[in-house]
Amino acid sequence: MTIGQILFNLFALFTLVMAAGVVLNKNAVNAALCLLLCLVGVAGLFVGLNAYLLAFLLLLVYAGAIVALFLFIVMLLDTRGDARPTLNRLPLVARILATGLILGGVASFLQRGRLVSPDIAGTVGVGAALKPYAYQLFTTYLLPVQILGFLLLIAMLGVIVLSKKFVGMEDIK
Amino acid sequence: MNLEAVKLAAANNVWSAIFPEMMLGCIALLLLVLEMLLPPKHHEVIPDVAAAGLFGTLIGLIINWHPIWIGSETFNGLIRHTEAGQVMRGFFLTSALLVCLLARLTLRRQAMPRIEFYHIVLVVTAAMMLLAQSNHFVMLFVALETLTIGLYILVSYFRTSTASLEAGLKYLLMGALSSGMLLFGIVLLYGVAGNPTLPAQSTQPLHYPELARFLAANPHHFLASLGIVFILAGVAFKIGAFPFQIWVPDVYQGAPTPVTAFLAVASKGAGFAVLLALCGAHGVFSAYAWLTTPILTAMAAATILFGNIAALTQHNVKRLIGLSGVSHAGFLILGVVASQTVPMAVGAIYFYLFAYLIASFAVFGVMSHLAGADDSDQELEHYSGLAKDSPFLATVLAVGLGSLAGIPPLAGFMGKLFVLMAAFQSGARWLLAIAALGVVISIYYYFGWIKAAFFETWTPPAESGGAPARPARTSVAPSTGLLLGALALASIALGFYQGPWGEWLARP
Repeated sequence: MTIGQILFNLFALFTLVMAAGVVLNKNAVNAALCLLLCLVGVAGLFVGLNAYLLAFLLLLVYAGAIVALFLFIVMLLDTRGDARPTLNRLPLVARILATGLILGGVASFLQRGRLVSPDIAGTVGVGAALKPYAYQLFTTYLLPVQILGFLLLIAMLGVIVLSKKFVGMEDIK
Repeated sequence: MNLEAVKLAAANNVWSAIFPEMMLGCIALLLLVLEMLLPPKHHEVIPDVAAAGLFGTLIGLIINWHPIWIGSETFNGLIRHTEAGQVMRGFFLTSALLVCLLARLTLRRQAMPRIEFYHIVLVVTAAMMLLAQSNHFVMLFVALETLTIGLYILVSYFRTSTASLEAGLKYLLMGALSSGMLLFGIVLLYGVAGNPTLPAQSTQPLHYPELARFLAANPHHFLASLGIVFILAGVAFKIGAFPFQIWVPDVYQGAPTPVTAFLAVASKGAGFAVLLALCGAHGVFSAYAWLTTPILTAMAAATILFGNIAALTQHNVKRLIGLSGVSHAGFLILGVVASQTVPMAVGAIYFYLFAYLIASFAVFGVMSHLAGADDSDQELEHYSGLAKDSPFLATVLAVGLGSLAGIPPLAGFMGKLFVLMAAFQSGARWLLAIAALGVVISIYYYFGWIKAAFFETWTPPAESGGAPARPARTSVAPSTGLLLGALALASIALGFYQGPWGEWLARP
């Protein structure tokens, strides 16, 4: 096992542990910080796969901006950890069924999901450098980029419609 | 990356090929500009601009029905122009036009910003049109997210009503879950099809033809079949098929009535356009028919039975029509299963979708007219005595519901007949039995609604009883009457003459 593979496995384990922490933590601030570390782990995985640009974008956008936003909102709402609904009320049959399905899925995935991978160090990831990525974005994938512009516009309008105070609505009526 | 390749890729972006979608985008922006420039007392013309824009785009589409791009790919393979794509474009434009007309009835009762509603409807419609023509998973996902995010906003649009907000939140959570599943599936397929150690691996694994080639070369790969199952689950969420129908009743009840219609008709149609492109006879997953056929067959049977049985006990008409919509989704999945072996099934699905559109909007039109200020409170009892107060509305309702139930000679009957004929030819006999059982059950609750409108008299609730009185009935405006009458007539006429759809059905 090369040092790259060992690091990759370590980062994968770290990501999984932190993802479990997001779900299991009762305190919302701790959960958000676990999410931050989970994203750092995923960024580490991307670096291991030579996708440096993706790793950088993930840290910049998700870890930097979005988790900070989550933390702001959590602090503004001042949620208490004990207000969480418990899952104990699920019927026993449902619990056994769900556990069985998940275990069966994971087992079959481990058993049959093996894929012979080529040497990752030899291949250059698509998300490795900014220049080819930008070329692709503005030639091949120009249409999706334009649609995303509209997506952001309606998302912004939605925020305004759903949260703004109605002022002067009588005029429109 | 050399400059010539870049120029070539840029030259393949044929913007005129998606002119209708661009028109919708421009009109949507125009609405916002008009809201800024016009004085508030002239704002009521803006919904007319939206409706006129949709109508104009629809006419333009019909005039230029066979553009030169039919059968070819543009935008470097992101979009593929087909006749089916043209049909779905027309379907989405028609339903968006009707949604805008219904929204004028419903939004009038609420102190809400109006213009944003029409803007979002237009953008969502354009996204649906692109979704139906997408030929690449990147395009599919971007269009699907635009459509879904627009619908999150529209569902929770009446934010002063807790039902609407609750519906929006539930739809957001369920939609995020389904998008996640869809993405997992896409990523699995991308990873497998791009693996250099497998035969027929591709550098563009998300492009439909490339992926289909890869799947044909590896017909029993475990990870690929896992990805396909995930993608089917994601699409099943959007069409509300069993076991992913859990969000349907609450979201349909809480959403504003025009948005419920949009969800029931256009969003479901978009899901089926995707399902046909993926699982149809020449679809991407056709090499995996051993996997998709049993899944879809079981899903169709369970969806038909669940939708109809659950709708039996409903008293809120929005929940009722939502659950009956689940059973219609089951019939359409039956058509998709049949289309894997019988070519006529594709035409049957499109005819069924149009018959469903016309009948649904007739019913939703009556519902929009009769609803009060609380849009989620529309009970079956509110309809009692409708035939005496307004024979016209009661007739339109009866025609719409009769068509949804599949009563001959209405359009819905012909739709069901064509789908069942296709299923019969494909040899799924036991599914036919379940479908027939579903039709019988559905007649019970559809006729319960008609019975309330025609044979029951309204008794105001006793003073001590907590039940609120029903909303006051107003006379039908001439424009609304014209619209509803046209929809009812179309439901009757399409039952006798199927026009271009009939030609499609006769194709070998």
